Amino acid sequence: MEEELQRIGAEALTEIARAGSEAEVEASRVKYLGRAGSVSAWSERMKSLAKEEKPRIGKLLNETRAAVAEALERRRAALDSEKDARAFASLDISLPGTPVRPGGLHPITLLQDRAAAVFRRMGFALAEGPDVETEWHCFDALNTPPDHPARNERDTFYLPDGRLLRTHTSTVQIRAMEQAPPPVRIIAPGAAYRRDEIDATHLAQFTQMEGLYVDRGVSVADLKGTLEFFFRELLGAGAKCRFRPHFFPFTEPSFEIDIRARASGKWLELAGCGMVDPAVFEAVNGKRGDAAYDPEEYTGFAFGFGLDRLAMILSDVPDIRGFIENDVRFLSQFR
Amino acid sequence: MKVSLNWLREFVEFDENALADLLTRAGVEVEGVEKRGVALDKVVVARIVRSERHPNADRLSVCQVDDGSGQPRQIVCGARNFQAGDKVPLALPGAILPGDFRIKASKLRGVESEGMLCSARELELAEDAEGLLILPATARTGAPLAELFPPDTVLDIEVTPNRPDLLSHGGMAREIAALTGKPWKGLDSQAIVHDGGADVRVEAGAECPLYSATRVANVNVGPSPDWLRKKLEAIGSRPINNIVDATNFVMFERGQPLHAFDAGKIEGGIVVRFAREGEEFLALDGRKYILGSRDLVIADSRRVVALAGVMGGEDSGVTGSTTEVILESASFDPAHVRRTARRLGLRSESSHRFERGVDIGNILPSAGRALELMGGAVTGVGIAGNPVRQRREVVLRYARCDALLGTAVGDDRIDRILTGFGLKKGAGWEIPSYRNDLAREVDLIEEVMRVVGMEVIPSKTTARFAASSDADRAYDRDMALRRTLAALGFFEARTLSLVSEGFRRVRNPLNEEQSALRSSLLPGLLRAVETNARFGTKDVRLFELGRVFGAEEETTHVALVMTGASGERSWRDPHPRQADLFDLKGVLAAARLGEIAFEKADGDSLDVLLDGRRAGRAGQAAAVLFAELELPAAAEGAGKGSCRAVGIYPAIARDIALVLPEEIPHGRVLEILRKGNEPLLERAELFDLFSDPEKLPAGKKSLAYSLTYRAKDRTLTADEANAAHARLKELLKAGLDVQFRE
Repeated sequence: MEEELQRIGAEALTEIARAGSEAEVEASRVKYLGRAGSVSAWSERMKSLAKEEKPRIGKLLNETRAAVAEALERRRAALDSEKDARAFASLDISLPGTPVRPGGLHPITLLQDRAAAVFRRMGFALAEGPDVETEWHCFDALNTPPDHPARNERDTFYLPDGRLLRTHTSTVQIRAMEQAPPPVRIIAPGAAYRRDEIDATHLAQFTQMEGLYVDRGVSVADLKGTLEFFFRELLGAGAKCRFRPHFFPFTEPSFEIDIRARASGKWLELAGCGMVDPAVFEAVNGKRGDAAYDPEEYTGFAFGFGLDRLAMILSDVPDIRGFIENDVRFLSQFR
Repeated sequence: MKVSLNWLREFVEFDENALADLLTRAGVEVEGVEKRGVALDKVVVARIVRSERHPNADRLSVCQVDDGSGQPRQIVCGARNFQAGDKVPLALPGAILPGDFRIKASKLRGVESEGMLCSARELELAEDAEGLLILPATARTGAPLAELFPPDTVLDIEVTPNRPDLLSHGGMAREIAALTGKPWKGLDSQAIVHDGGADVRVEAGAECPLYSATRVANVNVGPSPDWLRKKLEAIGSRPINNIVDATNFVMFERGQPLHAFDAGKIEGGIVVRFAREGEEFLALDGRKYILGSRDLVIADSRRVVALAGVMGGEDSGVTGSTTEVILESASFDPAHVRRTARRLGLRSESSHRFERGVDIGNILPSAGRALELMGGAVTGVGIAGNPVRQRREVVLRYARCDALLGTAVGDDRIDRILTGFGLKKGAGWEIPSYRNDLAREVDLIEEVMRVVGMEVIPSKTTARFAASSDADRAYDRDMALRRTLAALGFFEARTLSLVSEGFRRVRNPLNEEQSALRSSLLPGLLRAVETNARFGTKDVRLFELGRVFGAEEETTHVALVMTGASGERSWRDPHPRQADLFDLKGVLAAARLGEIAFEKADGDSLDVLLDGRRAGRAGQAAAVLFAELELPAAAEGAGKGSCRAVGIYPAIARDIALVLPEEIPHGRVLEILRKGNEPLLERAELFDLFSDPEKLPAGKKSLAYSLTYRAKDRTLTADEANAAHARLKELLKAGLDVQFRE
């Protein structure tokens, strides 16, 4: 009895060791361990064994079953690894990969997202406002007098109802302050429109990023630190910023920011900024009907820059119209 | 504005090499630097005595020239545009021309040449000029060329609109003096004084606070003196005659625009008034303008003789036969000048200055300055209005200045800076008449800022905690969707918001193609597909996520377009099939916006349902597949979501093949399966679809589904799965005209 079981076990191990394929391994499994397999059959025979034989034979049966199962698993693993090892043996591995169609984000979106990421890391929240704006939000509230040249029909798109297409994203400064009392710390990427004839460096529509920080004690030093940090993060630690005094109706003092990305490079005028003009706070207070933005108590800085121009410079784009033509040969160059 | 450094030097000392940087750092941006004249040694005026053909070269000639030394000089020359007697520039041996071109005596084709005759280009007097520069016959032979072309540097300066006081050499010099601490030599001239000898009436006192007219008799109209012509030419102003030149000169020197009328052509007195509606005016440019009642004009008893601050009249101007002039020096309201100049499209140096505001304290001295230059005899002066500006004071708190700038500048330093700009310290700071832009404390702080410079301000980095806003949530949602679509093989396009059609039209479009705000992203995307096709890209997959404009509201849409093959042609698949609507539907589903369904709609396109709600449309236009959806507002708490436990017991799959009438849609089958509420059915997936007349009866199709059964709480038995499968078959049989294929 014992001999027979041992013989079956030995026979199974020999057969399994010889199995040359997954199918042969499986056949051996069925033959020995399957429901009607010869090892399994012993389980039935156990019932009819004498009581004193049961522990001994039962132990042997379990050992045999375990040995066979282990051999099956080992053989299977051995066959698998042989197969893996041979998998590429006969292939022309110089063939190109199965093509996966590429897609990608627009260069302006990529830049906008990088810029937004830097400011968000500094604790700026996003804000937005409509493209179609009132004259008040676009000009009056921003301390731009009624006869200012920018308000002319030659330079600004107007709708029949007197509203206009915002000429800068600075409108969002006003929207943000209307909606909430200070402190305000926002950035606002978005479209702006100017009635410029389209050429290699001008579009009638462009993308800007606006920023505003109003709180107690905000100074030119905060403005400088924030924008220097931003441009270094965006352009690399070697980037240099130069703040050149300038004039904007809605900031005082005002600056233009020239950036030099590399020590050997040229200074490029990339952004405008300044301390929020008290007249802007007063206009917002008037609209809010309170004195939340008391210019004696609160100060702030604001900035804005064009993403199109920045993208042109960063990627050596020769013609700004590339950004609106959407030629995939152009779009596929940006990552 | 063009600024000649030679001219500037009359008012202030400065370091020429540091000037552009100094001004730019102080917010007076120098945009260009132009070198003028000839600053070369050993280049002189020579007279050509005679010239002969070169014995060995057809193209050259051999000239004998007089260089003023008394010794004849022989030069070989390649130009042909001269004749004997002409005076031309001569570079003597030893001269170094631009480009480090050293002149030396040499032999050209065997003939001695002791120098070189020069063209304007070789002396950098012109960008391209053929032949020798022929000098005026009056030029003194042997004189250094610098005498004829004095060297000068001309800066092109961008003056911001708040600083009209810088629109003159005197004013710019005053700024440089303030910035450097060097003395400003001033602009002293005798102001004219009213004597009633010229008849002036101002009917628009608010718009013309001060008007002066000075009658000058016995003037001789002729060319201006050389020094004055040269100054005007240096800054690009064309000399005309001594009277007009004097007015222009004073404008460029002191910033005050002047105008000279021919007194003989003025009838009666000068009147400053508004034009009558429809009144005509013949301007200096020879064109006739129709005026309106808001145009401020200068008139005589008969007609308009000038548009105030903008342009004089054609028939009242100074000509060669003028013997008596009326000189105007006045102040006009900037807004009125700007409106008129813009409306008529007339811009001038004069309107440029009046639009920004002139210094009322400068008006009468400027007239006096012009009189010094014009000659003749003053016979009468009429002045209307008050030349004395009200005293204005602005208070500056030192602490406020330090707080706003973020650094301690020091009270003494602040005092020195403001005093340097001509402000006088009293209870507050008294503002000079030429600085109307200084009206508030913050304006004074800006002056301090300009002088101390950004370099001394520390860089402070402050961060705050920022709670996310609705805009943050929308931005994150939009970016995630953009990235998903890019990963699915689509390039992001950005097209213009202005298109040819939309709910809202622009009143003043640039052209018809960009005349309305887009109500859909598709026109722009279809255009982009065309652009790509034009350059040979046939398989185009683009998407755009952006704003569209309804009759009132602005919403965010996402749109996709797709043309060409469904996949890339390659060794794997040499004949990829054409992309179709289901490729697009698959992408929309993979974008995981929600559950996507298409529904037939009126017209050619399909409705796209997002989670059962109509959200947009899809279809085909000009062989381009498209879909466009409106994105819902980004919800707060996006990214959270409940999670169902996944089954842990084994599943049993059973396939089922249905033969159905062609017109029964897949959706109907799915609906029946779903309505059965079979608890063991986990998934039903269509994996085969065909209608083959050889295998199926006419009008029939076959749909094959893979149904997955699984119990949540136990291992499913085959019998249980078979029973559920049979139940579903019964349901299908009851609900549809269906047969099962085995």
